[in-house]
Amino acid sequence: MKYQSHQIAHNFYTASVLLFLVQIIVGIVAALQFIWPDFFILNFNTIRTLHINALVVWLLMGMMGATYYVVTEESETELWSIPLGHLQFWATVIAVTAVVVGYIVMGLNPQTNMEVFGTRLLNEGREYIEAPRWADILIVVSVLLFLFNCIMTVFKTKKFTAVQGVLLGGLTFLALMYLPGMFYTKSMVKDQFWWWWVVHLWVEGSWELIAAALLAFMLHKLLGADVKVLAKWMYIETGLVLFTGILGLGHHYYWIGTPKYWLWVGGIFSSLEPIPLLLMVWDAFRTTRETRGVVQNKIGLYLTVAHAIFNFVGAGLWGVIHTLPQVNQWTHGTQITTAHGHLAFYGAYVLLIVAMMYVTLPSIKGVKDFNQSRGFLSFWWMTISMIFIVITITGAGMVQTYLERLLGLDYVTVKASYNLWFWIFRAIFGVGFLVGVLILVTDILTLGKKSVAVE
Amino acid sequence: MSTNAAKNLFIYGSLLCFVVLVILTVDTMGKLDKRAPEITEQVNAGKKVWHKYDCIGCHTILGNGSYFAPDLTKAVERKPKEYLKKFIMDPRTIKPNSAMPKLGLSEKEADNLIAFLDWMDKVDTNGWPPKPILAGAISGKTASTGQMLFQKNDCSACHQINGIGGTAGPDLTHIGNVRPDVEWHIRHLKDPDTVVPDSAMPSFHHLSDEDLRQIGEYLITLK
Ligand code: HEC
Ligand code: HEC
Ligand code: HEM
Ligand code: HEM
Ligand SMILES: [Fe+2]
Repeated sequence: MKYQSHQIAHNFYTASVLLFLVQIIVGIVAALQFIWPDFFILNFNTIRTLHINALVVWLLMGMMGATYYVVTEESETELWSIPLGHLQFWATVIAVTAVVVGYIVMGLNPQTNMEVFGTRLLNEGREYIEAPRWADILIVVSVLLFLFNCIMTVFKTKKFTAVQGVLLGGLTFLALMYLPGMFYTKSMVKDQFWWWWVVHLWVEGSWELIAAALLAFMLHKLLGADVKVLAKWMYIETGLVLFTGILGLGHHYYWIGTPKYWLWVGGIFSSLEPIPLLLMVWDAFRTTRETRGVVQNKIGLYLTVAHAIFNFVGAGLWGVIHTLPQVNQWTHGTQITTAHGHLAFYGAYVLLIVAMMYVTLPSIKGVKDFNQSRGFLSFWWMTISMIFIVITITGAGMVQTYLERLLGLDYVTVKASYNLWFWIFRAIFGVGFLVGVLILVTDILTLGKKSVAVE
Repeated sequence: MSTNAAKNLFIYGSLLCFVVLVILTVDTMGKLDKRAPEITEQVNAGKKVWHKYDCIGCHTILGNGSYFAPDLTKAVERKPKEYLKKFIMDPRTIKPNSAMPKLGLSEKEADNLIAFLDWMDKVDTNGWPPKPILAGAISGKTASTGQMLFQKNDCSACHQINGIGGTAGPDLTHIGNVRPDVEWHIRHLKDPDTVVPDSAMPSFHHLSDEDLRQIGEYLITLK
């Protein structure tokens, strides 16, 4: 370990993959509840809340670990404060545990979800941002401590690199965009209006900035590519991400009670959103080709390129197919949305964080060479399973759109009979995905350990 | 393009877009109140019940949320409020195989929630959800007066015949075998409680005796 600070990155990675495992296990429970609603003591809503919150939190923790790593390496110094970094890690772990316990208690007895100071004690009852207000505040404090520590580190040596700028800029944007979800409105229309600021401006705004910065970082670290060229393309990509993504927010304002002009704003800007994502794919391929040489960390590069590709396919293609109002009118809120949500999150962010882990863990653990076969094995288990889950759910979405939305059949009939086999296949492929995650967790936790290195 | 030019374009371009978004947001906020009825205390209380029980964890509303259960934006449109209230308070006494569990709403909470759903129904959603454009293709020809009355009174909001219709009440595809007695049907339609204790089916006593008989005659042909 070159820097003591990297221990913090390591801790974040460990917590991150463990939560990933939890996310997938509850995901399979959720999938089974589509077949047997009473499969588990907790109802579907609680299970789903755990699934998507675990997802968001482990990705955030992965990003934090990655950022602690990048900042120390780019600034060539230890963190401004190592104890603060450890404190921030443990505070995050404790807060997350408390929130999860709260969800479970609320799931077992909804009456515990009392109103305190005009907000809910255990579960706010809003998708993705279910965490209650007291937890929101803890999350914001934690992110601020994290940002403060990183920014002070950069100022220590004043090596203002482009990657650090965009990375920390993206993270600041992320912290700011959490705020619109932190107040109560009496109108459900306004509620959803601000809710989308958080959800959309995260995944199609700030998180993409972070992805572009980490992509440039990884391409540089793996291939030794020219920083100047990488930085230029990173700026072009992020510029286009925000140019299309900020007003692309309009694709969520077609039918929620907002004025009609959003159909134009959202339709036009969001259909351009795939362009920067395609540029990132091209960027990854170009850099790899131009700097052809012996790449030691093959799995790292593999995952980096896979991230770029699946970001484009999942977010770009699976997003653009239902983004025009004329299509979205029929597919809005169907399983088509779920198919897109899964492939987009998987390609854009799951693969990004997993790639960062493989790119940085060897230096963190101080090993030059490590057994890469498990990394590949886990990648293929996860990716093939995810592709099949998405095909399955896209099928379910097409059947649902046709029968329910176009023909007018009943929602429950379509779900319980016509789509039954899709639910069964999703659950089966989910188990395949779990196999991949189990291999991943084992590998991340043991990578570079003596017993493995000898193998 | 130089790196610096790209950087400036990124920073100033994004800021400009954000400013446009803020302007559109201000404009939208100013227009929202005219696109929905006034929010009464009861509607707000209903919204709080919605959050308390995490209904969004299974349902969508305005098309956003979870895809495990039907969208509730227009829930009150086709089903009477008394029915919905009974259902929300205890789904499985009304529909034994319902995938919705009993969540423990009190009577008052259920009333507030219905007021909230009633408000939702009146929000101007730019026409969403759209009417199923192919529905005509499967509704078939109307043969008898009874069948016409069945459609006119929207019995299919709750009942299925040959796979078409809602699932709130029993499937009526073979009701003629189960209940072959026209008089039973008339009594049931007039006042469901008298023949089925605690029935959640709405009463159709406002229909004329002749209409009720026609519906009954139609029902017993379903075998
Ligand atoms: C655990 C999942 C779950 C939760 C939580 C849940 N529901 Fe449901 N709900 C369902 C399912 C599934 C259906 C579909 C009908 C069926 O199978 O009975 C349904 C049906 C309904 C219906 C009937 C719709 C119709 O058109 O017939 C209403 C109304 C309703 N739910 C309201 C609510 C409200 C209000 C809440 C929150 C207080 C809520 N639900 C919470 C799963 C859930
Ligand atoms: C809001 C939903 C709803 C509507 C609308 C509705 N029903 Fe029902 N219906 C029910 C429920 C719930 C039951 C089960 C309880 C009962 O038998 O009374 C039921 C039961 C029945 C039964 C008895 C089925 C059996 O197997 O015993 C018949 C027949 C019937 N309905 C006919 C009709 C007709 C005809 C109409 C339209 C004029 C209609 N229903 C409208 C909900 C509804
Ligand atoms: C970058 C990563 C992206 C991620 C992680 C992502 C994720 C998601 C998720 C999870 C939802 C469902 C939200 C909910 O639960 O209600 C969603 C909705 C949607 N996304 Fe994306 N998305 C991404 C990019 C894009 C892009 C680039 C487009 C368009 C070109 C797009 C178009 C849409 C649309 C139209 C919806 C609404 C679906 C509906 O009407 O039900 N997304 N997205
Ligand atoms: C890394 C992989 C995964 C990611 C990134 C992911 C992401 C998500 C997201 C964002 C949602 C909520 C939004 C939506 O419904 O579109 C969701 C819901 C869900 N996920 Fe996953 N998930 C993953 C893996 C799985 C697996 C393996 C399963 C199980 C087979 C699963 C089952 C479900 C189910 C059943 C829902 C509820 C969908 C609905 O409401 O209809 N997920 N997931
Ligand atoms: Fe979006």
